[in-house]
Amino acid sequence: MAFDRVLNVARKEFSDHITSRRFIIVLALFLVISAVSIHEGIEVYNAQLDTYNEQLQQMTTEIEGPYPGWMPEKPSIMLVFLFMMSYMSALGSILALAIGFDLVSKEKESRSLKSLLSHPVYRDEIINGKVLGGVGALGFAMALALAVSLAMLLVFSVVPTLDEFAAILIFGAASLGFLLAYFAVAITMSTVAKESGSALIYTLVIFAVVSTLLPILGTMAADVFSGDPPEPPEMVAPMPTPAQSSGGGYVTASDDPRETDPAWRDYEEARKAYTEKRRFISDVSSILSPQMNYMVVSMAVTNPGSSTMYTAYGALQVEPGGGLADALGQVWMNIAALIVFPAVFFGATYVKFMRMDIR
Amino acid sequence: MIRTENLTKVYNGKTAVDGLDLEVEEGEVFGFLGPNGAGKSTTILMLTGMIEPTGGRCLVDGIEVAKDPLKVKEIIGYLPEDVGFYGNMTGEQNLGYFARFYGTTAKERKERIAEMLELVHLDGVTQKAGEYSRGMKQRLGLAQAMINDPKVLFLDEPTANLDPEGAREYRDLVERLAGEGKTVFVSSQILSEVRAVCRTVGLLAKGKLVAQGTLDGVARTLAPSDGDAVRIVVETREHLPDLEDPAIIDIERNGTRAIVRAKADIRDQLAETLFSQGLHVREMRIEEPDIEDVFMAVYRR
Repeated sequence: MAFDRVLNVARKEFSDHITSRRFIIVLALFLVISAVSIHEGIEVYNAQLDTYNEQLQQMTTEIEGPYPGWMPEKPSIMLVFLFMMSYMSALGSILALAIGFDLVSKEKESRSLKSLLSHPVYRDEIINGKVLGGVGALGFAMALALAVSLAMLLVFSVVPTLDEFAAILIFGAASLGFLLAYFAVAITMSTVAKESGSALIYTLVIFAVVSTLLPILGTMAADVFSGDPPEPPEMVAPMPTPAQSSGGGYVTASDDPRETDPAWRDYEEARKAYTEKRRFISDVSSILSPQMNYMVVSMAVTNPGSSTMYTAYGALQVEPGGGLADALGQVWMNIAALIVFPAVFFGATYVKFMRMDIR
Repeated sequence: MIRTENLTKVYNGKTAVDGLDLEVEEGEVFGFLGPNGAGKSTTILMLTGMIEPTGGRCLVDGIEVAKDPLKVKEIIGYLPEDVGFYGNMTGEQNLGYFARFYGTTAKERKERIAEMLELVHLDGVTQKAGEYSRGMKQRLGLAQAMINDPKVLFLDEPTANLDPEGAREYRDLVERLAGEGKTVFVSSQILSEVRAVCRTVGLLAKGKLVAQGTLDGVARTLAPSDGDAVRIVVETREHLPDLEDPAIIDIERNGTRAIVRAKADIRDQLAETLFSQGLHVREMRIEEPDIEDVFMAVYRR
């Protein structure tokens, strides 16, 4: 395989993508919605920052507060990208599907593939070039979205630190991995189907299955196989009112009668086992869904201190850890799944394309 | 220049090309004839390195195609049947994309593309290929097949979408290429098209080569066998009298006209007999098999 021939195909494909009306329309929508989501995120960030500053000020003026061990947590600008992620998972997947579903089928329909293959280029070079061109176009879209978001942060006088900048880049890479997952599905269906219409239908069916059906089935399976949750024991002492923090900060542990009650400890253990079982069953099905993997990885990148995020499919949990590296370490399976998912589909595309009947 | 040895292609258990042995010399304009589904296009796909044979082998300029398809593609040009292009690109851009696979410099590419577009009368056309008529696409197809100045040109149904003027220009082009010493392999089911440009032909039916040689030679080979008999057409102005000659086998009479089946060419003797009887001979010739009829008979088999 000669790289110059792959590059020739990739260059043409990239140029086709970024000049196609379909790509430009979806990209424009994608960028506008990204900008809106970033704006929304910046407003929430600024509100949290104001609360944080107020709490800091309170601490300096009221040293003897009601919760002496309590420290407010400074909000991270990565919160902004958490907002972006929710839009990205919807519009980004459409962009990826839009550029991939007729990549091969269109060439079969127009018979340009036969003309191309009559020139000195191997089939694997063609398909690799097509994938490379598509990855380039999606990378370009992602880079634009990140550039817009960074520009907006700067416009609103929010300057990321070096660590935050690294986290933004990792978020970009995870987002690109997510886009590639659906691009890989689309190009596989484009290679399998004889016509672009059929390729689009197959692609949408798989998209619906992996993005919606699998997580729902996972939750249902978790309900079915985990049984009923354990019942808490009768309380022997009144429970203290849980501490509330308006800024999402930490509260230091205080004496709790539940810690000394053996029945309560048994209940806690049973509940933990039940939760673990539910989580395992749910995770097994979710690992096949790029949407879920992307959400989990994004949550780890954008908010590594948080423990739970509620989505339409249930709670996603990441144990509170030290920093970004720890958070990423906890979600390594999801990161691996984001890499393996497109790799499997690209592999299938490669095999099918190499064996394709071009008569 | 082109050779196939027991070339075979089987698709899903169905034999498309069956043990084909073919030889085309350098500089020849070869017509590959056969009805629809005879295996012509499949043979060309194997010769151009686009599909691999199930059995046997094919060589172009001494290079075994299946072993080194890229090297073969560098010296050949191929115009597929129903040629297709990238509809979002102009003809020039399409040619530019294909030309980049040959490792030529930008200057060489630009010059060659301009030359080819002028040759097929598409120079100055700024439309996208998606807006081309079928005839324009066919002409662009010829240009893309010749973009690398090939030694061997494979043309699959080259005049399928051309108007009479385009077809005439195509014939002129093939003659010019033949004059330059290039080998041209024309696949078609239209005999008149092949007859106009080809010096030798091969006739394919149901994946097998039925005959190969000059057009007349192939026609004679395929004509219904009449033993060693010669069929002589005779027509006189007056009523045809009884003809007597030991070589005559039988005579089909029809007024002033007859077809004489004889063991040998006895036209001289017949002419002398008729002249001695004071008859005026209007026509006397050996009846050759009609090429169209012969080929049609093979097509219908």
